[in-house]
Amino acid sequence: MANKCADYIKDLNDYLDGTLDLGLCHEIEEHVGHCQNCRIMINTMKQTVILCRNGIEEKLPDTLESKLKNVLRARWEEHFKKK
Amino acid sequence: MIERELIARMQAGDFEAFSELIDAHKDKIYALVHRLVGNKENAEDIIQETFLKAIDNIGQFRGESSFGTWIYAIALNLSRAYFAKQKQADLLPIDSYLPTSDESNDGHSQLFDWQDPHRMLETKELRETINRALDSLPYKYREAFLLRYYNELSVKEIAELSGQSEASAKSRILRARLALRDYLSKAFEGGYGK
Repeated sequence: MANKCADYIKDLNDYLDGTLDLGLCHEIEEHVGHCQNCRIMINTMKQTVILCRNGIEEKLPDTLESKLKNVLRARWEEHFKKK
Repeated sequence: MIERELIARMQAGDFEAFSELIDAHKDKIYALVHRLVGNKENAEDIIQETFLKAIDNIGQFRGESSFGTWIYAIALNLSRAYFAKQKQADLLPIDSYLPTSDESNDGHSQLFDWQDPHRMLETKELRETINRALDSLPYKYREAFLLRYYNELSVKEIAELSGQSEASAKSRILRARLALRDYLSKAFEGGYGK
């Protein structure tokens, strides 16, 4: 394993999230240009976030939502009645 | 209506203003809690408890943070309490996730390139694999990763919500991402070989 890969791994999130210092970005890009493993690492790290994000999408179940409104309204009235 | 006006109405006792404020966050918080605790029943209990606690403590909300951050903090405290009694393993150090070959790729082992997982696995199978990967993370890492990449909070907000420094929050997010990548890579490598 090359030292450079180890030097850059801690910065990969900032690099991928676009929050890394420009100079370091150029260094990483230069390194990735000739390091296939780091290229794969970066691509698969990107995909990890996309896959996880897409796999989660869901909304509050309708049954819970209608139940919640009643429960919360009751607690709300109780809370403000006390005041 | 802007949040500040809704908050003022809510604090004056207007339930509709409170409803409108929670409507803006309820789906994202439910999805977060569901993924954090791993099952629907407990997630539903925590969501209900979150909003009830918000009502009980409404007088304590001073508007120093956004309403969303305040609600997240309540939901996260309840989710953490759910895991408080469970012993959580730690993740490997960052260096353990490094590629094992050098820059010249001179015959050392190569990282597995996923190509397009959607073409290789059925949607349902892919979703189950992702859920297993997320469930495999120790709680604090799962929380940091989801807050950053699902709920799209900043590192600073995550640090505040977890009572950690920004450096520590950053480290948790990176380690979670590397561990998930590693888990998915192994899962896909096996799947592709079928």
